[in-house]
Amino acid sequence: MNNMTDRLCGLFFVLFGLMLFFYLIPTQIETVDYGAIRPKTMPQILAVIIGVFGFILMVKPADGSNLQPMPWGRSSLIVAVLSGGLWLISLFGFIFMAPFLALVLMVIMGERRPLWLGLGVVGMPALIWFAVTILLERPLP
Amino acid sequence: MPELSIVLAGLADAFTLTNLFFVFIGVVLGQFVGAVPGIGPVMAMAIAIPFTFGLDALVAIGFLMGVNKGGLVGGAIPAILMNTPGTPDAAATALDGYPLAMQGKPLKATKMALFSSITGDTFSDLVLITVSAPLAVLALCMGPVEVMGLIILAFCVIAGLIGNSVSKGIIAAALGMLAATVGTDPQHATPRFYFGYFEIYDGLPLAAVAIGMLAISEILRRMGENAGVIKAGIAIRDTGNPADQRISWAEYWSCRYTMLRGTIIGTILGALPGIGSTAAAFMSYAGARQASSEPETYGKGSLHGIAASESANSAVMGANLIPLLTLGIPGSVGAALIISAFMIHGIQPGPLLFEKQGQLIYGLFGSMILANMLNLLVGQIGMRFWIKVVSAPETIIFPTALLLCFVGVSLASGGIFGIAIMLIFAVLGFVMNALGISVVIFIIAFFLGPRLEESLSQTLALLNGDVWALLNYPIALALVAMSAVTLVMIRRKSRT
Repeated sequence: MNNMTDRLCGLFFVLFGLMLFFYLIPTQIETVDYGAIRPKTMPQILAVIIGVFGFILMVKPADGSNLQPMPWGRSSLIVAVLSGGLWLISLFGFIFMAPFLALVLMVIMGERRPLWLGLGVVGMPALIWFAVTILLERPLP
Repeated sequence: MPELSIVLAGLADAFTLTNLFFVFIGVVLGQFVGAVPGIGPVMAMAIAIPFTFGLDALVAIGFLMGVNKGGLVGGAIPAILMNTPGTPDAAATALDGYPLAMQGKPLKATKMALFSSITGDTFSDLVLITVSAPLAVLALCMGPVEVMGLIILAFCVIAGLIGNSVSKGIIAAALGMLAATVGTDPQHATPRFYFGYFEIYDGLPLAAVAIGMLAISEILRRMGENAGVIKAGIAIRDTGNPADQRISWAEYWSCRYTMLRGTIIGTILGALPGIGSTAAAFMSYAGARQASSEPETYGKGSLHGIAASESANSAVMGANLIPLLTLGIPGSVGAALIISAFMIHGIQPGPLLFEKQGQLIYGLFGSMILANMLNLLVGQIGMRFWIKVVSAPETIIFPTALLLCFVGVSLASGGIFGIAIMLIFAVLGFVMNALGISVVIFIIAFFLGPRLEESLSQTLALLNGDVWALLNYPIALALVAMSAVTLVMIRRKSRT
């Protein structure tokens, strides 16, 4: 199983290297034909390195001891909450959205005690607001 | 060399009550912001500079030095206690600090970080005070060819951090360098990989990338592992043994060579503009692991690992001022901010500074030594306080840390867009950790990549196709030879 993970990982990097070399670099970097190192040179070298070592990883996978089991489901949920929170912050501002974001995160983590919820939802955002806006006189996002 | 009376007058200025007070406030503020993931001493200095307008020049610069030095110590605290470095410099500290804290020895880990940080910083300050001029001349000799040799050496030393899969290590470095190519290229200023987002014309912000990959990805993992059970931010196991909560003289002394190596690496890299304390910390860590007779203990709570990282990243601080004070060249963002503070107060850094402002410079040196002593004092108390803070339930620690990272990255790297980049790299860091691809190597390569490309293009232009012209650069050749020796040593070590 671990070998298969490394092989798939290697395959991904081979495909990524190819896509980088043949699609992303030509479309995302202007062609310049002078100078000691052209703008495409370094990315092309790196695309080759990624592809070649991806291939090596595919044919000769590691022993799997450095793979870490991760909580994919819950972490994906938190990433989704953070992304949604960021979008709402961009619309309504940090001051109004940070308490809601903190509340959702704390509830997801299982916090139900009113005192701790109050501290996290009201206390900490207020402290951040005071420190950044009042003391440092800098704008919040 | 200024007269003794000027030196003594400068030192007397440093030890006035007003200066002592502001240096103390700077150290406290620095330790606080350093301990908050996402803010860090550089941003704190940038924010604090406008508030120093009304202060005397020495007091203002002493205050900023206090913030910077305090921040270096503070950055180690969340790295050790939560595995979320407060500053990128402290990322190497987390490698051994966090496992040691998990073994029920958080105070031992933080105290080792504090003592080795003060040791490295003090040594570096002494080098600055005594031999700043000759070292600055050496730094001035480092042209693009020598800098390229140095960066090649840095990459070879960092190869020691590659674990049991060379392919994954090289892929991590290539991905880091690839991320660093985003933005305009150093020779032609041609935009690369900006996908229509002009916000990344100057490249991806280091703060967003480093905090996303190192801090947020770890918080995501920890929050994901929380299955509705409320635990403390860190589970500090009380071993019941008082020796586990302090550093004995024997333990400190046993790390003397590790700290010396780290201090020398930090001082040399600090004297060279543009390398920075993050690279110094990782080079020192990798060097200590290679030199160790027990390399298998690294990453599992080794005191030597903490000492190597902290002594090196703190030693950069004093040495950064060598090119600044003698040549007017800032060696880092922090040094550039110090230059701006000098100029705000009507002082022009450069070769004539020692002659024209000797009293101020020796006052500054006095303030630096004072800041080190206060850092030790504040740190001894602050470490216990911060352990109490992060012992609060993780249901409040992690959401608060996330909000602080949002605000910190927004302030440091341009608002909402910077936070979005941070989240993207947090996900990338999470996936890389799952696949066993080193995030640390990625970050170092991201940091060194632009410097390598720039020095490579300048070197090729200088050599103009003539490989034999390299013989005119003996320092660069020596550095390349050292790189080869380093690789051979790593190879031998990995076989044994």
